[in-house]
Amino acid sequence: MTWLFPFYLLGAAAVIAPILLHLRRRPPQDRVEFSSLLFLDAQTPIPVSKRRLENWLLLLLRCLALILLALMFARPFLRSESAASTSPDRATLILIDRSASMRRDDLWQRALDEAKRTAQSAKITDRVALAVFDQKLTPLWTFEEDRTSPAARTTEFPTRLAAHSPSWSATHLDRALIDAVALFDTNTASLKKHILLITDLQEGTHLDALRTIAWPADIRLQVHRLDPANADNLSLALAASESTTDTPVRPDASANTQASTIRTRLANTRDSRLRDFTLAWNDAPKSDSITAQLQPGASRILTAPPNSTNATTLTLTGDTQDFDNHLFIAPPQPRTVRIHFLGDNTTRDEAASPLYYLSRALQPTATLAPVLSADKKLPAQSPDIIFLSGATTNAETSTALRDFLTQGGFLVHVIASPNDATLIKTLTGLKDLTITDGDTTDDYRMLGEVNTAHPLLKPFADPRLRDFTKLRFWHHRFLQVPTLAKLPKPQGAGDSVPLETLASFDNGHPAILTARIGKGTLILLASGWHPGDSQFALSTKFVPLLYGWLAAAGFSHDPAASLIVGDALPLEATQAHTITDPDNKTHTLKPGQTFTTELIGLHTIATASRKQTVAVNLPPDEGRVLPLEPQKLADYGIKLAASVDLDSTTASADQQRLSATETEQRQRSWWWILLILLAVLLLETWLAGRNRQTALQTA
Amino acid sequence: MPISPHMSSATTFLDPAALMRIKSLELRAKVVVEGLWKGMHRSPYHGFSVEFSEYRAYVQGDDPRYIDWKVLARSDRTYIKKFEDETNLRCQLVIDHSKSMGYGSQSYTKADYAATLAATLASFLMKQGDAAGLTTFAEGIEEHLPPRNRPGHLRRMITELERPAKATGTSLAVSIGQLADLLRKRGMICLITDLLAPIEHLEKQLALLGAMGHDLVLFHLMDRTEIDFTFEKSAHFRDAESGAERFIDPQLARETYLKRLAAHREQIQQSCDRYNVEYHWCPTDKPLEEVLFTFLSARQRKKASKSSAKFAA
Repeated sequence: MTWLFPFYLLGAAAVIAPILLHLRRRPPQDRVEFSSLLFLDAQTPIPVSKRRLENWLLLLLRCLALILLALMFARPFLRSESAASTSPDRATLILIDRSASMRRDDLWQRALDEAKRTAQSAKITDRVALAVFDQKLTPLWTFEEDRTSPAARTTEFPTRLAAHSPSWSATHLDRALIDAVALFDTNTASLKKHILLITDLQEGTHLDALRTIAWPADIRLQVHRLDPANADNLSLALAASESTTDTPVRPDASANTQASTIRTRLANTRDSRLRDFTLAWNDAPKSDSITAQLQPGASRILTAPPNSTNATTLTLTGDTQDFDNHLFIAPPQPRTVRIHFLGDNTTRDEAASPLYYLSRALQPTATLAPVLSADKKLPAQSPDIIFLSGATTNAETSTALRDFLTQGGFLVHVIASPNDATLIKTLTGLKDLTITDGDTTDDYRMLGEVNTAHPLLKPFADPRLRDFTKLRFWHHRFLQVPTLAKLPKPQGAGDSVPLETLASFDNGHPAILTARIGKGTLILLASGWHPGDSQFALSTKFVPLLYGWLAAAGFSHDPAASLIVGDALPLEATQAHTITDPDNKTHTLKPGQTFTTELIGLHTIATASRKQTVAVNLPPDEGRVLPLEPQKLADYGIKLAASVDLDSTTASADQQRLSATETEQRQRSWWWILLILLAVLLLETWLAGRNRQTALQTA
Repeated sequence: MPISPHMSSATTFLDPAALMRIKSLELRAKVVVEGLWKGMHRSPYHGFSVEFSEYRAYVQGDDPRYIDWKVLARSDRTYIKKFEDETNLRCQLVIDHSKSMGYGSQSYTKADYAATLAATLASFLMKQGDAAGLTTFAEGIEEHLPPRNRPGHLRRMITELERPAKATGTSLAVSIGQLADLLRKRGMICLITDLLAPIEHLEKQLALLGAMGHDLVLFHLMDRTEIDFTFEKSAHFRDAESGAERFIDPQLARETYLKRLAAHREQIQQSCDRYNVEYHWCPTDKPLEEVLFTFLSARQRKKASKSSAKFAA
């Protein structure tokens, strides 16, 4: 029995009052009228020695009431919940945090020691299980194993734990706890369930998923918080997170400046004594480093220093905790896209020619390096994309283009004259296709209907970019397929899929058509982009459309997403990969397999055709290392064990009092005392009333 | 002449408490007297008012009216039947009106009892043609009605009796001294009091009244609690007359009280014996008829002894 406010127990001393009152024989206040005092003498009051307790039962009740009152105010509660010696057998799940922040100081070793100590102090009838967690839970020793060989646990724990060390992952305590609840099996049903959480309980711990569950009432969580010598830490992370995918793609943004705009986010912990830091690329000259100050609790965005040595690691120095001081940046590795313009290369600089605009639109970016060739013949090596505008083709070229398409090529064909019908017939196999000049009047056409939902028009899926109403077309060709119009809408997605209209003019003539030819894609434009045909090349829609087609052809412009530990590497499902991790271990993956990153650093993904380097960084939340109060977990509905076992000496009396208050509030023993007190008072009133009545009757 | 024995059976007496419930004092007296009369009709006793004194030989000059013709016829001698007093008995009822008489543990007080006793006596006497008077006293004489036997006189007496006591102290000696001055003619004096006062001076006055030829009867009234002192709880006891308070534990005080009371009564008894005062002990729970009956029978015995003594002389 413990008291929340033991000071109130002094109030029990008030029992002296009723005892004294009962000792004091009250001189009778009654007055009796009598005929004469002739024969009566005055008497002295009763001497003190004759005093004795009267109505001892009443006195007892009154004393009891006062004592109960004092007890009630002292707010008693039982600490028995934490007393292991008196409790029945317990099922304890030891849950050890192995997130990256456990790399600090000797936290991991202390965690192992605590786990061992708990395992050794457990009785043989107790059930003990062991699991480690970072972003997922890994059971090391289950309750079932413990049931079959409980004696082995002391020897097994160290060996199994030795195989694990702190990872580079984030701390997903919420997922770990939810999974840990499921580890309690039927063997532990009758035992007192208990989770011993050994963790540094840093600020960056993920807890949100705990809100989605109702914590089981019979499982208590005991938090053993490991505090390092000090929580001072400077952390480095990539700023302007890649999650902003809804921003419009800007392929025309200067690709050359990409490397210089790495923004980093630096943060200092609250109450930190650290101020000065240095940010530098590995092996960079000292002149390229940034040395500055960061106030405690502050964070700031800093542009990375110039990377003159093409280093891949940005290092922060200035604090003792090294685990979150490195930022890996994959070197720029633009993909080469071979684009062939079937036409006259000499028109490259003629403002009226389609090639002129094409060559200016296809500028290299951080991820793409378009190589535009132009010739009237097809090149020897098959290009990735072929543009065809205004060139006349012979039958041989037509067949070659058809082969190019069926093998998975991407062909954009601008219908320049009715003569192109032959080529298109060859490509699509539609025999009754006719092409005429669309409009002979001087009037211009605009786009009437645009199917922006189509994958080939993906750049325009954003509602802000859908405005085609200012685009004027002077000339266009009218492609007609009579049999196609009669046919119902195509069902399958095979070769037989004929032409599909992506956009049409306001007079109903198709403007952009597409067809799948074999593995390849054919795009037909009824009007060219050069000024002779339309305003298209000069409009803001042209470049996004081009890059959309490049993406559709497999050359995405999107910068490689910056990955954090625990993310899956971006792999192509159809190809086999060989992955080299930062430890230079090689993993060979079959098509369709995925690879989840576990280490920070540069990963190399190699396929048959290309090699790519991906940077994997520490989850930024791991850098927030300030310890949380274990009471915070109670806010998520978790039932904490009565005594929150704090490892550090900083566990103040306030925290202990808080936990005592909570225990007391849960037990609510004062409520029962109040009930007893009321009962005693009722009894006292009744007894006193009865005594008085008998006294009146005898008088 | 003895009164028929069945009168002594207490069962026929009215319970004083029941009697006192009758509001009207007149009616109360009537009830008692009626009961008493009923018993008396069975006896040849016809009252004591005609005070037969002696026979003496007729001498010339005597009124021939008083010659006892029966004796003359029987013995051929002329005797004159001599009466003690030619008038009826003059009875003065002297009632203590002090505050102490206002005490009573039952539903009625000693004063109620005394008033009923007086009214009954008066009613009884006047019914048989005697004169009754009333004197109330406390520290001195308060009211005085000389003995008379007239229609309406009983009424006046009863009105006087119903007046509540208001005086504080009792001075029996002073009152009796004053009374001696007022009562010039010989008669009977019925003193109804609780005698809760020192009696040193009382003796002298009683002796004076006796010497004046008055026939003295003392009705000593006491409440049952005054006799037994049956209190249980300690309390402040307040004197009804003086208002003085004393803290008394009855348990401790009872013994002394009873001893002193017994001594007091003893003293009274002795005084009464010494001065030939007829003493009647009247606890207020005693039926009134019984008191009256005892009184009447005692009177009868006294007369009998007196006349026999005279005859013997």
